[in-house]
Amino acid sequence: MDRPLEGIRVLSMEQAVALPFATRHLADLGAEVIRVESHARARPPTLTETDLVRNKLRWGLDLGVEGAADLFRRVAANVDIVAHNFTPRVMRKFGIDFEPIRAINPDVIYLSLTGFGTTGPWGERPLFGPGAEAVSGHNVMIGEPDAWPGRPGTIVYADNNTGLNALVAILAALDHRDATGEAVHIDLSLYEAGIAHIGAAVTERAFGGGLPERMGNGDPRYLVHDVFDAQGTDRHVAIAAREDDSAALARALELTEVTRDAVAAAVAGRTAEDVAETLQHAGVAAYIVSDPSDQSLDPHLWARGFFGLLGDEEAHPHHGPAFGGGIDLELSPARAVGQDSRYVMSSIGGLTDEEIAAAEEVGSTGAAPNRGPAVRPPTTPEQYAIRLERGELSRVDEVHDRWREVSS
Amino acid sequence: MTGTTARTTNRALDLSTGVGAAYAARMLAEVGWDVVKVEPPSGDPLRDEESRWGSGRGGAFAFANYGKRGIVADESQILELARAAHVVLGDFSPSGCHDSQISAGMFAALEPRRAVVSVSAFGLTGPRANWASSDMIVQAASGLMFLTGEADQPPMQLPPYAAAVTGGLAGAAAALAASRSAAVDGRVRRVDVSMMEAMATHTYGQTTNYVYNGEVARREQSVKQALRMVPASDRFVYCAPGAVANVDMRGVAVLLDEPRLTEDRFQTAEGRMQNYQEYLDLFVPPFQRKTAQEWFEEAERLHLTFSLVQTVDDLFACPQVAARESLRQVTAPDGRVVAMPGRPFRMEGGPPEALRPWPAHPGEHTEEVLKEWLVSV
Repeated sequence: MDRPLEGIRVLSMEQAVALPFATRHLADLGAEVIRVESHARARPPTLTETDLVRNKLRWGLDLGVEGAADLFRRVAANVDIVAHNFTPRVMRKFGIDFEPIRAINPDVIYLSLTGFGTTGPWGERPLFGPGAEAVSGHNVMIGEPDAWPGRPGTIVYADNNTGLNALVAILAALDHRDATGEAVHIDLSLYEAGIAHIGAAVTERAFGGGLPERMGNGDPRYLVHDVFDAQGTDRHVAIAAREDDSAALARALELTEVTRDAVAAAVAGRTAEDVAETLQHAGVAAYIVSDPSDQSLDPHLWARGFFGLLGDEEAHPHHGPAFGGGIDLELSPARAVGQDSRYVMSSIGGLTDEEIAAAEEVGSTGAAPNRGPAVRPPTTPEQYAIRLERGELSRVDEVHDRWREVSS
Repeated sequence: MTGTTARTTNRALDLSTGVGAAYAARMLAEVGWDVVKVEPPSGDPLRDEESRWGSGRGGAFAFANYGKRGIVADESQILELARAAHVVLGDFSPSGCHDSQISAGMFAALEPRRAVVSVSAFGLTGPRANWASSDMIVQAASGLMFLTGEADQPPMQLPPYAAAVTGGLAGAAAALAASRSAAVDGRVRRVDVSMMEAMATHTYGQTTNYVYNGEVARREQSVKQALRMVPASDRFVYCAPGAVANVDMRGVAVLLDEPRLTEDRFQTAEGRMQNYQEYLDLFVPPFQRKTAQEWFEEAERLHLTFSLVQTVDDLFACPQVAARESLRQVTAPDGRVVAMPGRPFRMEGGPPEALRPWPAHPGEHTEEVLKEWLVSV
């Protein structure tokens, strides 16, 4: 698909995950993305930041310092897209909400990515992704019927889904602007993106269906629809067989009757990989329940070129965009906070050297060179030790050899 | 909604059955595209699908096909319609071909003006391209299911169509991006979106930790899970990032009127985990004193980021949903008025949103679409 956003400039005042995930895709598609963040409050980066800030320029800007909002507007006047994921109140306070930006950039595409949207009784409330999953109706559907509500297994689920909606909205707005010269304000919320993501279940309920609630791994529309324990620690295979798969399932697993218990007995003691291969050979839907090590070693993902390689000293595999391969993914490593401040202000904002020096002097802009993209464990050593002890993490030796083998 | 009528409307031809590619096409309808769905004469099997919870027949079809016109066409008409379209969408994998009128060779052979976009479970290339699938199977393959659920239980499935909708969003983005490229140089793009890869983007953090640190992240312990959602007097309230996050508990101590939660040992994740039972005894029971809604409001006053744990029925009654009209009141072809999710973002300026419901029956718009689209070729 090459780089359709070559020449498009994005100024993104972003935090957490939802907006950085969207702008990561814009950068993957060739846009010049400027990530705005406070150099003064820069924290040591987390490992996953490597992905979220890849291919982006980084501008250190402390909006709390007088004059900083003016710098923001100077740059915002010369970009195609301005985006933020702060509460509406924050943007208004600094005079960088949609109207003031449109006044200086008449065909701007402006994205407000918020918790609940910029209007309505909950419009000023903050919300994080995991809370968005809960409030938009996902969590009551996850887990065993008698258990407390569950949640999607990663804290970025709602964030990423909202980010994909942002991507669709921005691409559509760009086409619209190119055709009409009209500015567009996109008002996107974690809450509404979350509701849309379970939109089929919502609509089925509106059509008179049963109330969606926890059902474990069951699905009454299937003959067998579950996850089965296989050989090894925490190894499982997922199987989904409809009524007309019954004979094939029975033959493949040598069952005399097709029941959940019979399938469980046949799977126990075999590897998840073996069961999945056997069933797929017979045309029955099955896959190992892939863990993070399986993911980074998955032969199918490697064969399709899903991973790109990224790293300072030695390259590690990193995910391609959500729409997969097909673009020439050139990954450039994460840059340090504020590393591109001067370039952004002079080349895009048109500020003079004197103006930039004055802004640096008062601390409204700058860099945090000692807060570079070092790779570090995601938790403190103490947390890590406790999590290992509790069995929430396990240690896999020779990890690098394993994925190198797959990638070669 | 200020739409523009002066410019040419983009056209998308949706050849899919099921939810994935159909949702991608629906998103195009939601940004002003003229989207036509081709169904086999017997109709998309999704029309007859009931909810996982019983009844609700056709709800998923209505959701995935909102805003489209529906036609029935033979193969030669499909080829002709594809030439008249800017983008053709479908599931061009073997299983996608099974229920629809797609043949595998069409992915390479169709000649729309800009792009052919496939949204399938595993993609069209690679050793498992022909594997059978269901939404749960894709969830398992993506790495997300392994992490979902509690540490002492098996991995858990996500809500229905999680993989298909994620893949559909990725497909819509791909269609718009590819269309942009093709508009510049006139070369037709063919984009092969895999739901597995779209879903795998949710686990990049865990995969990255594995390749750098050798850690295999697992499902969370129930304690940690539970402490994100605690039962209030009427239903659950979403109260905090849980026990392992490095959050200060002093604000929560004020909210719950429990001074002991201000003790130093409860201020860090390590401390809470090491003093888990005592922490649990102080933290959970006070929530019984009020309703979830009351805690939600009080937390807001103390600048604590709480949330609600809502059911689908709660969404229908939610004041925020009502104020923003997040659910559209739609008159279905049979005259019923139903509430269903509309465009998941609002736009001031920008393209118009979809204005018509889903096709009432296969071929509802055959005559008018053939007339409009084929005349202009």
